[in-house]
Amino acid sequence: MAQRAAVVGVGITDATSPRKQTRSHLELCQEAAWAAIEHAGVSPAELDGVVVGNIDGFEGTVLGGKHITRLLGLGTHLPMVVLNTGGTTGGNLMQVAARMVRAGTHQRVLCLGGPTFFGVRDLQSAINTNSPMIVEQPLGMGGFHMGAFAASAYQARHGTTVEDLASVVVADHQKASRNPYAHLRYTLSETDVVEGTPLSSPLTQPMVCPVSTSAAAMVVASEDVAAARRTPSALIRAMGTSSDPYLGGGKGDFAVMENLAALARRVYALADVRDPRAEFDVVEVFAPYVHMQPMQLEALGFCGAGEGIDLIRSGATDAGGDLPTNLSGGPKCTNAGVAGELAPYAYTALQVMGDAPEAIQVPGARTGLAHGTGGSFFQFENLAVFSQLTPQEQ
Amino acid sequence: MTNRVRPGPVHVVGLSCTPLLAEQDAVLDELVFDAVSAALSECALRKSDVGLSVLASMDVPDGRSISSGLTTAAAAGYLSDSYRLEADSGSAVAAAAQAVAAGDVEIAIAVGVHNPEHHAEDDAGRRRFLEQLSNLAFEPAFDRPVGMTAQTVYGMQAAHALHSGEVSLDDWAELSAAAITRGATGRRPGRSGPVTAADVLASAPVVSPLLDLMLPAPVTGAAAVVLASPARAARLLGRSAVLTGIGQATGDHTWTGDWLTRPGATTARAAADAYQNAELVDPGAEVAVVELSAPTPALHGPYLAALQLQGLAPERVSPSGGLASAHAGLANGIIRLLEAVEWLEQHQPRGRAVVHSVDTITGTVSEESTVVVVEGI
Amino acid sequence: MSSPLTQTVHWDLTYDVHLGSTWGRFMQGLREQKILANSCPECSRTFVPPQAYCESCFVRTEQWTELPAEGDLEVFTVVWQGFTGGPKPPYAVGGIRLAGADTLLMHVVTGLDFSDPSTVRDQLPHGSRVRAVWAEDRTGQILDISHFEPAG
Repeated sequence: MAQRAAVVGVGITDATSPRKQTRSHLELCQEAAWAAIEHAGVSPAELDGVVVGNIDGFEGTVLGGKHITRLLGLGTHLPMVVLNTGGTTGGNLMQVAARMVRAGTHQRVLCLGGPTFFGVRDLQSAINTNSPMIVEQPLGMGGFHMGAFAASAYQARHGTTVEDLASVVVADHQKASRNPYAHLRYTLSETDVVEGTPLSSPLTQPMVCPVSTSAAAMVVASEDVAAARRTPSALIRAMGTSSDPYLGGGKGDFAVMENLAALARRVYALADVRDPRAEFDVVEVFAPYVHMQPMQLEALGFCGAGEGIDLIRSGATDAGGDLPTNLSGGPKCTNAGVAGELAPYAYTALQVMGDAPEAIQVPGARTGLAHGTGGSFFQFENLAVFSQLTPQEQ
Repeated sequence: MTNRVRPGPVHVVGLSCTPLLAEQDAVLDELVFDAVSAALSECALRKSDVGLSVLASMDVPDGRSISSGLTTAAAAGYLSDSYRLEADSGSAVAAAAQAVAAGDVEIAIAVGVHNPEHHAEDDAGRRRFLEQLSNLAFEPAFDRPVGMTAQTVYGMQAAHALHSGEVSLDDWAELSAAAITRGATGRRPGRSGPVTAADVLASAPVVSPLLDLMLPAPVTGAAAVVLASPARAARLLGRSAVLTGIGQATGDHTWTGDWLTRPGATTARAAADAYQNAELVDPGAEVAVVELSAPTPALHGPYLAALQLQGLAPERVSPSGGLASAHAGLANGIIRLLEAVEWLEQHQPRGRAVVHSVDTITGTVSEESTVVVVEGI
Repeated sequence: MSSPLTQTVHWDLTYDVHLGSTWGRFMQGLREQKILANSCPECSRTFVPPQAYCESCFVRTEQWTELPAEGDLEVFTVVWQGFTGGPKPPYAVGGIRLAGADTLLMHVVTGLDFSDPSTVRDQLPHGSRVRAVWAEDRTGQILDISHFEPAG
């Protein structure tokens, strides 16, 4: 019988660069998985499924998630699903796990995202392998080169200056400096950002996410399991994914995120969200490149076209603002691949559970929005709306 | 172990498969499009009717990381809900069915595609490439450097089984010959027949004790299934079958040895869940036919026992010929479902079938097994 | 802190990527210095590179047309830091709208002065006209168009 699903446990490891990381891929995954299980208050033997993500080629493994999961020590013959949708892998883990629970066949499913970018020598060359082969791959585009297309188009449409873009980076670093799990925890000035090494115009090094190593995990459980916990859980009220065409050229307009806007309308309708700006207490978007956050805020209906940066500059998206966004510092300050993609879901769930790290917890947060995006030219989008589920009266 | 709740039934309304060929002159997404549009046509549905599409494919044979970028739109995923699993398409059927059972969608599609971006002159060449990829899927620090592949695992498991003295190479040759011969008269043969046990025993040694004709016949193609809620299915043309139970399990890692000594354990776990969902108490008496996915004859017995179907008449076990006749990589799970549903349509329109699929990426190591109970209505 | 223990892992995979009939025809056209597009019979959108099917109407594409080797540069980026095995930076990659196409063709764009990163955007404003320059030796691949250059 169909039932509701909720996030009942979250585990996030601290993050650092691949160079400084002393723990292995497996050790990071283990730490996150066990932290999530402990937070959920379930025992490993009670799990009845695992959904794990990997991106082949980026990791130097094929189905890397498969052998990692088997080494976690979570019991034998547990059903395990390997998901790979590139940059949306992390966010989609919960979509798959939630359906397993919502179908009524599973009660407690673990989602696990590891450090995808751990080990590859030149990440941009690995990312080029997902560029549309034959027609677009030979042109020489890695991740941030594809990202730069939208940044450039957005600038042309709205007259955005590099200083405007830099202000978003400054805000993200301010937020990350308070998050104990963040990788880049230093603050920056607009000048630091503008004068950073040019990567792919108009993006400079500080406008692009770091390569981090960390892991994240969540336990998704039935409403009954959630209601029996002593503390609040994060009920999954609505979720969805959407895909653009494969070729970057099929997008048509790089200056606006139409695919995300369409998905937002669909997911808001499911959750009966009518006034997103007023109804969300906390938002985490997957914005590894600087221009993405303002464009996403626009697509998500929080402001008009070309107004995203003004919204960020106004302080509305800071802690204490009316739309706290990416208080984790977002992927701009911590991006470990699948773990980084799962992070918006993990942090949003933690926020509505009231269990986020103290320095970034939004007091009284009850409704949150989590977002993911990825694939060649950010072809894929995913979204979920969480609501606080309070413990059952004993 | 947990208080499982029985999911609502999920109807099969469309099923299709592209021609299965040694190699296809097509881009992956064209194969996916052909399978999906044919499956939708069977039940007169359009892309806009699809609530979720789940794709099964793998980056490395596809020659692209995030190959789902290419194939998602072809799976009816443009501007709608979709994701890709790196798993046998049996897992995609399970995920699509869950979305229907959850009440999240009325129509869901599962599709699997397999057309490795590699050109070879013969089966041996095709296997060499798949084996290279298989090696990359093993654990990198210990298993990969020593040359572990799916075939080496199958070879070791077969050697171990022979050593027990309970089975013989001749028995396996008979099994493989019968399967290839049966498949050759079916709708999707990858090998021609008839073939005798002597032919099998005379075929080239591949990984001892296994011989060429004991291993799956590598073919390529795509297969798709359209699933619907009971209410929606009532208003649709197309197939008339119901998925009443689905179970999944993933096997253990190299180090435990289960893959060698208890190769049916994963399938047994998957079957237990599927049978419980389907309220199947006495499989031997209640199941008319099974579409089994045994990559070698050495796994035929262990898998059948795990499914509690060892008493089934030989002609009711993979009447299609199974993997010995044609094995389309990750598209296999849906092809087995198609074969089972077609058998029911022809022989027992109200019968019950069990569909078994495994991935063959790393052999019985970390093997994922899906068991589906399907009933004609 | 001691330096982490790592092992070198290298992938060496060679592929023969299937082109299929749709992209095969497009690549053959490039050898003959023709840019071929195809269209959806239902929504009439014209695709270049061509598509075997329309993702929106979910039907096979049909009619083929040759597009002019000139179009508007809708977007571009200059790559200052590239990747191992990729082109030598700096280089520019752009999205070009060929006349009559509903999609963008991505390609390398030349004619920019890279001496000052802050001026590149203004050198080729949105909508600048660019034209294809054909490679001398054409083998049926996307780089049979060597690059696009400003069309005066």
